Amino acid sequence: MYDYIIIGSGIIGTTIARELSKYDVKILVLEKENDVANHQTIANSAVIHSGHDPKENTLKARLCVEGNALYEEMEKELHIPLLRTGAFVIAHNDEEENTLNDLYERALHNGVTEISFFSKQEALKLESNLPDDITKALSLPSTKVTYPWEVAFACLENAIINGASFQKDSEVTKIKKTGEIFEVEVNFKEIIKTKSIISAAGIFSDTIAQMIEKDVQYKMKPRKGEYFVLDRKVKRFMNHVIYPLPTAKGKGVLIIPQVHGNILLGPTSTLQDEKDLVSNTKEGLNQIREDVKHLAKNIPFDQVIRTFAGIRSSCTYDDFFIQESKEIKNYFHVAGIDSPGLTAAPAIAKYLVNEVLKSHQLKKNPNFNPIRIKRDAFYHLDDKTQQDLIKENPYYGNLVCKCEKITEAEIMEAIHGPLGNDTIKGIKKRARAGSGLCQGGYCEGTILRIIARETKQPVNKINYYSQNTPILVQETKVKP
Amino acid sequence: MKIDIAIIGGGAAGLAAAIAANNSAVRILVIEREEQLGGILNQCIHNGFGLHVFKEELTGPEYASRYMDAFYEKNIEFMLHTTVVDIKKTNDFLVTVTSLEQGLQKIEAKAVILSSGCYERTRGSIMLPGERPKGIMPAGSAQRYLNIDGYLVGKKVFILGSGDIGLIMARRMTLEGAEVLGVAELMPYSNGLTRNIVQCLHDFDIPLYLSHTVTNVKGKDRLEQITIQEVDSKFNPIEGTEKVFDVDTLLLSVGLIPDITLFDSLSLKKHSVTKSAIVNQFYEANISGLFVCGNALHVHDLVDYVTIESEKAGKNALDYVLNPRKPSKHVHEIQLNENIRYVVPQMIDFEYFDVPIELSFRVTKKMNKGIFKIIQNNQIIMTKKAKNLAPAEMEKMSINPNILIDSSPLMLTLEEVEV
Amino acid sequence: MREMICIACPVGCHLTIDENLHVKGNLCQRGEKYAIEEITHPTRILTTTVKTTSLINPRLSVKTKDPIPKELLFEAMEILNSITIENNVKIGDVIVKNILNTGVDMIATKTIIINNK
Repeated sequence: MYDYIIIGSGIIGTTIARELSKYDVKILVLEKENDVANHQTIANSAVIHSGHDPKENTLKARLCVEGNALYEEMEKELHIPLLRTGAFVIAHNDEEENTLNDLYERALHNGVTEISFFSKQEALKLESNLPDDITKALSLPSTKVTYPWEVAFACLENAIINGASFQKDSEVTKIKKTGEIFEVEVNFKEIIKTKSIISAAGIFSDTIAQMIEKDVQYKMKPRKGEYFVLDRKVKRFMNHVIYPLPTAKGKGVLIIPQVHGNILLGPTSTLQDEKDLVSNTKEGLNQIREDVKHLAKNIPFDQVIRTFAGIRSSCTYDDFFIQESKEIKNYFHVAGIDSPGLTAAPAIAKYLVNEVLKSHQLKKNPNFNPIRIKRDAFYHLDDKTQQDLIKENPYYGNLVCKCEKITEAEIMEAIHGPLGNDTIKGIKKRARAGSGLCQGGYCEGTILRIIARETKQPVNKINYYSQNTPILVQETKVKP
Repeated sequence: MKIDIAIIGGGAAGLAAAIAANNSAVRILVIEREEQLGGILNQCIHNGFGLHVFKEELTGPEYASRYMDAFYEKNIEFMLHTTVVDIKKTNDFLVTVTSLEQGLQKIEAKAVILSSGCYERTRGSIMLPGERPKGIMPAGSAQRYLNIDGYLVGKKVFILGSGDIGLIMARRMTLEGAEVLGVAELMPYSNGLTRNIVQCLHDFDIPLYLSHTVTNVKGKDRLEQITIQEVDSKFNPIEGTEKVFDVDTLLLSVGLIPDITLFDSLSLKKHSVTKSAIVNQFYEANISGLFVCGNALHVHDLVDYVTIESEKAGKNALDYVLNPRKPSKHVHEIQLNENIRYVVPQMIDFEYFDVPIELSFRVTKKMNKGIFKIIQNNQIIMTKKAKNLAPAEMEKMSINPNILIDSSPLMLTLEEVEV
Repeated sequence: MREMICIACPVGCHLTIDENLHVKGNLCQRGEKYAIEEITHPTRILTTTVKTTSLINPRLSVKTKDPIPKELLFEAMEILNSITIENNVKIGDVIVKNILNTGVDMIATKTIIINNK
C-alpha cells in the first residue's frame, strides 16, 4: 500500500513527486498515457514568469514569484536547461503606459524585486526588432525560459531514485474509500491501495474528482492556445520574452525565445468544450499573425517549422485550487493549474507538502539525493570531451538527426535511460531528434530502426506515440 | 586529413561533379551520409530519367548506376555513412565529418562542392490547420519506406500537391495495395508532367482536385479524416466547398528546399526565391572556393540537367584548385522582368566571360507562346521564341560572349505572345 | 467518344477519339498513333520492387523491359509479390522471363549482393 498516489505525471505531478520523495513516504505516480508529460506540459510557452501578471494576494502571485526563484536551485540540482532571457512588457501609447505603471505596482506588491522601466530608445537598443511605435517598456530581468518536459523528466527521475514508483499506461477508472484507505482502480482491473491521493490530473481534474466527491468545487474550462514555432536560424530575431499589455483574456500573444534556439509566437486564448482537442485553426493562427505585429517588426514568418496547440487547465475557480477535499479526507486537489503553472510548479509542490499536508507530519528521508546528472547534448560539449566519448562509445560518431545534431548514442540513451521510451515522439521529447528544420523527414526512418533494434521489436511495431500508432502500417509482399 | 576538393553528397550531382573534377593532380573526397552512393535516385524506382543525357529512358537506380560505375572506375576516394557536421573557412575550408566507423574527423580542403540535395517541405511549414495525429508525412519519406524498406505507411491515402513526387506516389501506393482517394492541388493546374497525370491518376481513376487544398485534419492519435476545400484566386478557401475523406494517411508533396543549412554559420549570400546560394557562372558562391550544384542550388525537374550543371561545377572546382582566379570587379546580377521567377546563375562575372554561359530559369506563369530576350544597355542582344512555358518546367538559354556589347549588366525578360 | 491528353510530347494536345478510331485535336501524327493505341491496346512500363532475403536491401527495384498491356498491371504485381530474391542480382538480370506471356521480361534495375547466412 502506498502513502501517496499522485495522479498525473505532468510538470505538477512530477514536481510534487520529487518534493514528497524528500520524505520517508511511499509514493506512486500514475500516468494514463504511455509516457511522462503528454498534455499541457508539452504544449505551453515554456516561460518562467517574473510575477508581474497574477492578481495581487492570490496563490498564483505568491507561488509564481517563489517558483521563479526555485528554478535557480533546480537548474543546479537537476541539470535542467534555463535560458535567462529577461522580458519586456511594451506600451505603444499613454493609455498603455498607464497599464504598464499598474503592472509595475502589481509586480512590486507580488514580490518581484528586479524590475525597471526602459525608454523606447533603451529598449530598441537591446531589441532592434521591437516595433518603432513603442513608447515605453517594463523590464523584467528575472523572466526565464526552460524546457518544460525536461523539467518533468528530471523531477520524476530524481523522485524515482529517491524511492518513488511510476506506472504509465495506467488510467484511473474508479476511486473508492473504505475507512481510511483509498482503493484506486486502474484500467478497469488493477486495484491499488493508498492512504492519500494527490490529484494533479490537469484538464481531467474534475473528472477524477467526480469519482470520489459528490460536489466538486470547480469545473474545468478548457482554453486552447495555439502557437507558431520559428526555426533556430532566426534566433537572433528576439532575445527577450516580449509581452503585450494583458487583457481580460489573459497575457496575450507573446514572442518567446526557446532554450534550443527556436522562437515561439503565441498563445491564443479560446474557450472550448473538448478537453483534448489540440487542433490548430486558421482563425487562431491568423490571430497570432495579427497580434504579434504589435510586438515586433521584421517577423520572419517564412521560417515557421511547426504549429501546435495546448489546452490550459483553466477552471471556474479564480486561483490555483490546492487544498484537501472538504468531503473526503486525504484527497488533495491540485487543480486549475493554468498560467503561471509551469513557473509555480516547484513552489506548488512545496506549498502542498509544507502547508496543505502539514498535518501529515512527514518525516524527512535521510537518504534524499537532490542531484540528477544529465550530460549536455553531444554537440554542445567541447572537442576533447567529444573525442573521449566517441572512444568510449562509437555510437556518438553516428549523426542521426542532422538538423539538431543528435547522435545515435543519445537516441539509445533516450530509449534505455531511467524513464526510457520506445516511441518516435518519446525519443523526440528526450533527445530532440526530429524537432528541427526538417521535422524528422530525414531521421525518422533511422530512429525507427534504432528503436526496433534496441527493443528487439519489428520495425512495424514501433509507434509514433500512443499504442497503435505505428509509422509502418503494413509490410508489402508478405502473406498476412 | 588534407585534400583539394571535398564534395558533400554522393548523389547525382556529387557523382557528376566528382567525375568531372577528377584529375591526377588533385585529391578529391566524396562524403556521403547514406550507406550507399546514388542519393535520392535510389528510391526513384520509376522511369523517365536520362532522356537527354543517354537518349534512353531509365529508372532512377539505373541512372545512378551509370554514374556510379564511371565513378568507381576513376578510383576517386569516398566516405559512406559519414555526415558533415560543420564547415569553417579561414584560407582553406575546415570540414568536420563524423561517422560510426571513424568518429569525428577534420578535413582541410581547398575547395568544397555542396551537392547535398533537398529536404521536403513539412506540414508545419505550410501551416496546415487541424489536429496533429500520426499519418501525415512528406511523400518522399513514404517513397523511401515503400521502395527501400518495403512498407506501406497507410492503407487509405490522400495526397496534397500534384507535383511529380505526389503523382508518382499515387500510382506506387495503389500498385502496392493502398487505396488512394485523391490528389489536391492548390493551383488551377498541375505541376507534374502530363504523362504522370495520365499514368498515375487517370489510369487508376484517382481524382485530381485542382484549386483545392486541405483545410482540416482530424484524428487524435492516428489520422482519421481530412477536409479539402476549393480556393479562390487569392488561395482563400471557399465556404461550402468542403469535401471530406476518411483516410489514415496524408502525403504531402508541397515543395523541396535546398539543404544548405550547413552554411548558415558562414556568411553565405542566399537567394530568396531559390532558397540557396547566389552563384556566378562558375557555380561559385560568394565564398571563394565554395561551389554549389544540383538540387542543393535550385530544385530541378530533370536529373539530366543536374548532371550537366554538376559536371560544370566539378570542372570549375578543379580549375579553381589548379589555377585560382583573381577576384574580379565586373560582377553583375542578371536583372529579370516580372515573368521570370529566378535565374541560375544569378551573377555574371564579365571578367571571365569567355565561354558561353548557360542560364537555367523558371517562368512565373503558364504561357502558350513567349519570347525571351537578353538585353544589355537597353539593346536586345538575343531573343528566343518558346512554346508551352510553365513554372514547373525549367528553361535554358545559352549566352555566347561574342554577342555582348560590353561588361554592363544583362537583363533577361519574357514577354507573352498573343496567340 | 473518348477524351484524352496526348503524352507523346510536352505539348499535351487534348484529343478526342470516336468508335471508328477517328482522332481529333492532334497537332501531329504521333498524337493519332498514341490515341489509337490508347484505345485499342494501351500499354505501360511497370516499375516496382520485389522482396529479397537481404537485410541491407530488403527490396530490389525492377521494371518491365518494354511496355506491357495496361490491364495486366495488377496481375503482374501479384506474380512479382510472390517472388523472393535469394541470390546476387546484377542490373539488367531477368527476374521474370516473359511475364504473363506478354513476351516481355521483368529485369532488375539495381545490382545487389545478398550476404547469405
